[in-house]
Amino acid sequence: MDLGSTDGASESPSAAAKKHSKKPKYSKFTQQELPACKPILTHGWVITAFVSVGVIFIPIGLASLFASERVVEIVDRYDKDCVPSTYGNDTLAYIQSTQTNKTCIRSLTVPKQMKSPIYIYYQLDNFYQNHRRYVNSRSDEQLRSKAYEFDTDDCDPESNTDKGPIVPCGLIAWSLFNDTYGFSLQNKVLQVSKKGIAWKSDQKHKFGSDVYPKNFQSSGLIGGAKLNKSIPLSNQVDLIVWMRTAALPTFRKLYGKIEVDLEANQKITVVIQNNYNTYSFGGKKKLVLSTTSWFGGKNDFLGIAYLTVGGLSLFMAISFILLYVVKPRPLGDPSLLWNINPVGHSN
Amino acid sequence: VCCRVSPLQKAQVTSLVKKGARKITLSIGDGANDVSMIQAAHVGVGISGLEGMQAVMASDFAIAQFRFLTDLLLVHGRWSYLRICKVVTYFFYKNLTFTLTQFWYTFQTGFSGQRFYDDWFQSLYNVIFTALPVIMVGLFDKDVSASLSKKYPELYKEGIRNTFFKWRVVATLAFFALYQSLIVYNFVIASSSISVDSSGKMFGIWDVSTMAFNCIVVTVNLRLLMMCDTITRWHHISVGGSILAWFVFILLYSGVYTPRGIYSVFYVLISTIYFYVILLLVPVVALFGDFLFQGVQRLFFPYDYQIVQEMHRHEPDGSSAGLLEIGNQLTPDEARSFAVAQLPGEKSKHTGFAFDSPGYESFFASQAGVLAPQKPWDVARRASMRSRAKTPRKN
Repeated sequence: MDLGSTDGASESPSAAAKKHSKKPKYSKFTQQELPACKPILTHGWVITAFVSVGVIFIPIGLASLFASERVVEIVDRYDKDCVPSTYGNDTLAYIQSTQTNKTCIRSLTVPKQMKSPIYIYYQLDNFYQNHRRYVNSRSDEQLRSKAYEFDTDDCDPESNTDKGPIVPCGLIAWSLFNDTYGFSLQNKVLQVSKKGIAWKSDQKHKFGSDVYPKNFQSSGLIGGAKLNKSIPLSNQVDLIVWMRTAALPTFRKLYGKIEVDLEANQKITVVIQNNYNTYSFGGKKKLVLSTTSWFGGKNDFLGIAYLTVGGLSLFMAISFILLYVVKPRPLGDPSLLWNINPVGHSN
Repeated sequence: VCCRVSPLQKAQVTSLVKKGARKITLSIGDGANDVSMIQAAHVGVGISGLEGMQAVMASDFAIAQFRFLTDLLLVHGRWSYLRICKVVTYFFYKNLTFTLTQFWYTFQTGFSGQRFYDDWFQSLYNVIFTALPVIMVGLFDKDVSASLSKKYPELYKEGIRNTFFKWRVVATLAFFALYQSLIVYNFVIASSSISVDSSGKMFGIWDVSTMAFNCIVVTVNLRLLMMCDTITRWHHISVGGSILAWFVFILLYSGVYTPRGIYSVFYVLISTIYFYVILLLVPVVALFGDFLFQGVQRLFFPYDYQIVQEMHRHEPDGSSAGLLEIGNQLTPDEARSFAVAQLPGEKSKHTGFAFDSPGYESFFASQAGVLAPQKPWDVARRASMRSRAKTPRKN
């Protein structure tokens, strides 16, 4: 490492002959002389930081919490109760047989006024849509365009039949959720709208309008819903929603929405077709009706998180103020230097 | 003190201290006879110039004058230690944070090994999104300026005691990496388990993971700024640039359809208020713990260099004042010696800076216009030589 070799070794002091100088070109960058700010964390800065975090976070937390409190949510678990008592514990036989009557009538009470649109979700527990082999079991190219119909490499075992490739292929599509819900209020049917339940980008770009289902659920095990062959994939909103694989084993997916208001204490009758088999792996099925706020569904988490952090922050600010008043450390106190056995710094 | 020693004996003395006293040894020399000593020590410093380049070629560090040794040790050596500690600990920390979030996810995937992040995120994390700022720290970080480093040589003890790379320091950083990974992972997961949009739509796995990765990149880069003692313009550029590079990358990657990619995921994210709310919350909470720790450490258990920083906080940033500026701040004695040292010397093993030849000095110094009062023994010696040759001769 050449340190500061200025003034070439052979430069004559009288500058009679200008010899070649080996001095490197000066630049602030290479000589490490860049102007810099050297922040020092003083009591003032610490207290200011904590106070500002508290002051900013607490209102945001309150706003989130208010938004979340205004959301009304009804959650109803129906998979256990929808198996008729005649089957007892043999739920598997019930769900797998095509002869049994899968209709199930449930009654929900509206706890508070719910303003439209009211979103209908189905929630599955213990269903690992995020399993590695499951997540890979799809063909994005095939979904997008008819030209890639034969691109089913990753879709095993649901890739091909003797009659040709399965469209859409893969386990994700094969396991499409197929419970249906019908709602009525005082004998009047509540219309369930399927418009706008899938993300626009999915509908427009990920699922082609020239791709039609083919050979779907046609052989061997049937894993879920069947698809209408005459509707192109870009309009099969249930499939699109299902194929946006969820991150956690407990997840909700949007089923539809109701566009009327519901008043408190009204009784909604739900007619469920309990088709989907979650019994063989101990999964749960729940029906969720929820309104939304500007911030989404009923999740107190963000509001509580913001409030907690804001509160903690203010608490820290107050503690530091107290410590500053009670036991201040003067800045730049030379008597603290070279403390042979300071607290926490022993050799 | 050893004198009239041969090169082998010099090396043996060095080895004796090295192995017997079990200390780190540094040897400095300027001639070919110092080569074995330089090689025997832990750190060998060679002085280039009057005795030729032998010592320089055998050494680990080469300097031009003996007095540069103070700078080498107290300034640059100390800064080097500080910088290496910061760079290495930061590298551990940022990768630990990143990897632990993936680790927490494995519990939720039935241990099937599903990745939390997209492949491109993982590949480019260390290459683009977090690489440049730490290089800037490694190049420019200074705890105190050069002149203060020399004014308080006791600061050198921090390196000897290994203050910045003890197990305790590394464990603290690992603990905070764990804490941050838990915060990022759990906050993002818990808040996206219901619809986060007024339209009621739900996120998928790639939305959630892109959000988490976004928070990680921002958190880890901001944490670096908290670790710096000196923040130059390049730090701002590199930290801001890394975060900006991430946004540019994700906007492009999300905007172009790739099979198995995350097409339009980021555009979906930024259309929700949720994104901005989480982007404000998660890095602040993640860095909350570190900030608190730094505040408590600095205010109640300060390191020596921090006290020195505070004592001299009002001094102007004479950043060029500390490093050796030849000719500017030398005492007259030093100026004289320096002027003489620049002179072409006789090619002899017995000349050289260490063997300052007095009569020679005052003669050539006067040529350089530097005042060098003649020493009494010179006058006497020259008087006695006058009867013989006119050319000045060695004693």
